[in-house]
Amino acid sequence: MSASGWEQLLFIVAVTAVLAPVLGRYLAATFRGSSATPHSATPHSATPHSATPHSATPHSAPGDRVFLPVERLVYRSLNIDPESSWTWRAYALAVLAFGLVSTLLLYLILRLQGWLPLNPSHAPGMSPLLSFNTAISFITGTDWQAYEGETAASYFAQMGGLVVAQFTAAAIGLSVALAVVRGIAGTARTIGNFWVDLTRNLVRVFVPLSVLGALVLVSLGAVQNFSGFRTATTLAGGTQQIPGGPVSSMEVIKLLGTNGGSFYGAGGAHPFENPNGFSNMFDLLLVIVLPFAIALMFGRLIGRPRQGYAIVAVMALIFLGHTVVSMQAEAHGNHLLPATVSQVATADNPGGYLEGKEMRFGAAGSALMTVGTMGTTAGATDSALDSYTPVGGAGAFVGILLGEVSPGGDGGGLYSILVFALLAVFIAGLMVGRTPEFLGKKVRATQMKLIVAYALTIPIVVLVFGSVSLVLRAGTQSILNNGFHGLTEVTYAFASVANNNGSAFAGLSANTPWYDVTLGLVMLVGRFGPIVLALAIAGSLAGARVHASTRATLDTSGPTFVVFLLGVVVIVGGLIYFPMLILGPIGERIVG
Amino acid sequence: MRRLLITSTITLLGLTLVLGFGYPLLVTGLSALFFRHQAEGSLVYRGGRLVGSSLLGQSFADSKGNPLPRYFQPRPSDAGTGYDGADSGASNLGPSNALLIGFVPGVNTVGLNGRRSATNPFATPADPACVPTDPAGTPVTSPTPGQRYARTPDGSYVCDPDTVPERAIDYRRFNGLTADALVPIDAVTASGSGLDPDISVQNALDQAPRVARARHLQVRQVIGLVHRYTSGAQLGFLGEPTVNVLDLNLALDGPR
Repeated sequence: MSASGWEQLLFIVAVTAVLAPVLGRYLAATFRGSSATPHSATPHSATPHSATPHSATPHSAPGDRVFLPVERLVYRSLNIDPESSWTWRAYALAVLAFGLVSTLLLYLILRLQGWLPLNPSHAPGMSPLLSFNTAISFITGTDWQAYEGETAASYFAQMGGLVVAQFTAAAIGLSVALAVVRGIAGTARTIGNFWVDLTRNLVRVFVPLSVLGALVLVSLGAVQNFSGFRTATTLAGGTQQIPGGPVSSMEVIKLLGTNGGSFYGAGGAHPFENPNGFSNMFDLLLVIVLPFAIALMFGRLIGRPRQGYAIVAVMALIFLGHTVVSMQAEAHGNHLLPATVSQVATADNPGGYLEGKEMRFGAAGSALMTVGTMGTTAGATDSALDSYTPVGGAGAFVGILLGEVSPGGDGGGLYSILVFALLAVFIAGLMVGRTPEFLGKKVRATQMKLIVAYALTIPIVVLVFGSVSLVLRAGTQSILNNGFHGLTEVTYAFASVANNNGSAFAGLSANTPWYDVTLGLVMLVGRFGPIVLALAIAGSLAGARVHASTRATLDTSGPTFVVFLLGVVVIVGGLIYFPMLILGPIGERIVG
Repeated sequence: MRRLLITSTITLLGLTLVLGFGYPLLVTGLSALFFRHQAEGSLVYRGGRLVGSSLLGQSFADSKGNPLPRYFQPRPSDAGTGYDGADSGASNLGPSNALLIGFVPGVNTVGLNGRRSATNPFATPADPACVPTDPAGTPVTSPTPGQRYARTPDGSYVCDPDTVPERAIDYRRFNGLTADALVPIDAVTASGSGLDPDISVQNALDQAPRVARARHLQVRQVIGLVHRYTSGAQLGFLGEPTVNVLDLNLALDGPR
């Protein structure tokens, strides 16, 4: 890998190491002061760093002067009591109801966009099946896109439909994570109020950061206008359509919300979304800093910052593992090309394998950005994954298959890894013959049933639908590349949407009745299944007795547990899907 | 449940107004105020006429699709029929797909009978990886008995011009390089967007003598321009050094 590849990786690690703790502290201070307060097992151990000028009263948080009036307005107009807190069932029901209403409205907008205003490219309404697929895709934060953004979506649909869905998907993820933390670590039987969580997440996190981020992107060259297509007369005498659109405002929540839904067809490879090497790394930071910060917030909220660090360590190790492997593979090049095509880095040629990659990012920079987002639900690519080398593509695939906990989606990464942690303490408990405990609460049969259901939901839908697609003509006729690679196109699609990642081996023609419907269903199960189960686990632990830790209690924040948890993630995620990897990228690498 | 659905609906409608319209309009307003040039698309005008965007690659070929020797040529493009701003996208061809790398023995080579073959029966002296085309010019990656192929007058197969080996041959011929000259990877691969505005410095330097010949300039002068229009990586390491093709070609044309 070229020097700039390592330097960019180092840059990402360093900036994340600085920003994530700052943001984590802000989040902790924000959500400690709401009904979000998990009545912590050890309430007095909040660190001195979290003290803010307003911390004298338990209900104050940074920026209250600006944010509180807005929130109060919302609560008043919705006629809800911000102090009320619900059971897990009520919370889950609210998430589902809101998801249902959002999906219906988005479906209508996509169907009717042809008649709605702000449609300079005269995009017709999407077909019923494509609207079904796209609506679910954005509501679940998957952002699988079976349409071409430039010509198939109006500005109205992109802004009023898709941007709103990306905001709410992110806020729902974080809300559920907060509720799960309250259940797992708190002493109350209730786990919070969904409307309050949703409001506070949007008002205090996603909207302000999005406005700032969008302006940074515009300053770097991303576009933000309502001009529609302009026609340029090129130097050679031809014409070129130059697209426009409110792109930056969508791009930023696509990344910050770990969604991945792009304005244009080419996504993050498009120069109007991602104009240069700096914006490329800025994009990656927008994706990964917040999930890392949320994990650190967790440590602070429960009064055990070390627990946050332990989780971040597991996330970071997985992130570095699969990302560095891919960067190396892409920078090394495709050995099947003629030797007279120069893929070796020199002073005037950064080299690497550039099919499907942009010159300004280079091979290593492209792999860093694209594969770096694969351990999150963003799946925001700046290059064509279908053209990656077998090992490079496998790096992306593995990030998804390990359940997207490196560092995961906003909130989703945290509740996923907490479920893995519960599974890990259970397995550890079996090994030494003690009742497993996490944060002082005993993990019993009730929880274990839910945890196993959680761990199996996604693999079942991926393997069943993936296999069926490989034996049906409706499934196989969409494949672009033959052999091992074609198999990966199909299995990757189901793994990607089930984990709400949404990136694609895009050679697969996905806008067919078979894929529109099956992928849509898989996204629903992959999003709301884990949410309901995670809330159920939290609900079953809410109010459970907290046991004081003894010398025999497994320390869940030390290096031993980090390694153990890492092993559980790799074994649970890796082994279930191993046949898919053998018949896909591994076979392709060995035979090629 | 009814109350829940009503609250959901009101919340969603409010969010649609605020996030769907208020927020993008706010960002658009602030962008227009502070970063007008970028927000509009970094548009380039020449003599009052819009000629493109310095962020979007464009085609420098004549109306028949032949590259113009007097202009630096961008990378191959899979956006529509090439650099189509309304249809961004990549080839999505896998790393061992014959349409991209040609027929490589032991990997994807198919014989005249349509079965796997240890040698490439379509190989030509110039292109051992040759993927043949049918008389209409469509590449044939799954030959069947009775398939008809396009041939040159000397009897060798006509190869699909869009594979990497064929692009390398064309690149050397177009730029007057020797038959074994190294070809920069970016010159023979398509980008992810199909709108890549840049090429590598090596690619520009390889093209410089041809451009100089076509414009009756000294090679030295053209190379000087290449270096002038080379942008380094941001902060020295974010991204890679590149040459913006439109900017460079505009500089060659001079003010008009």
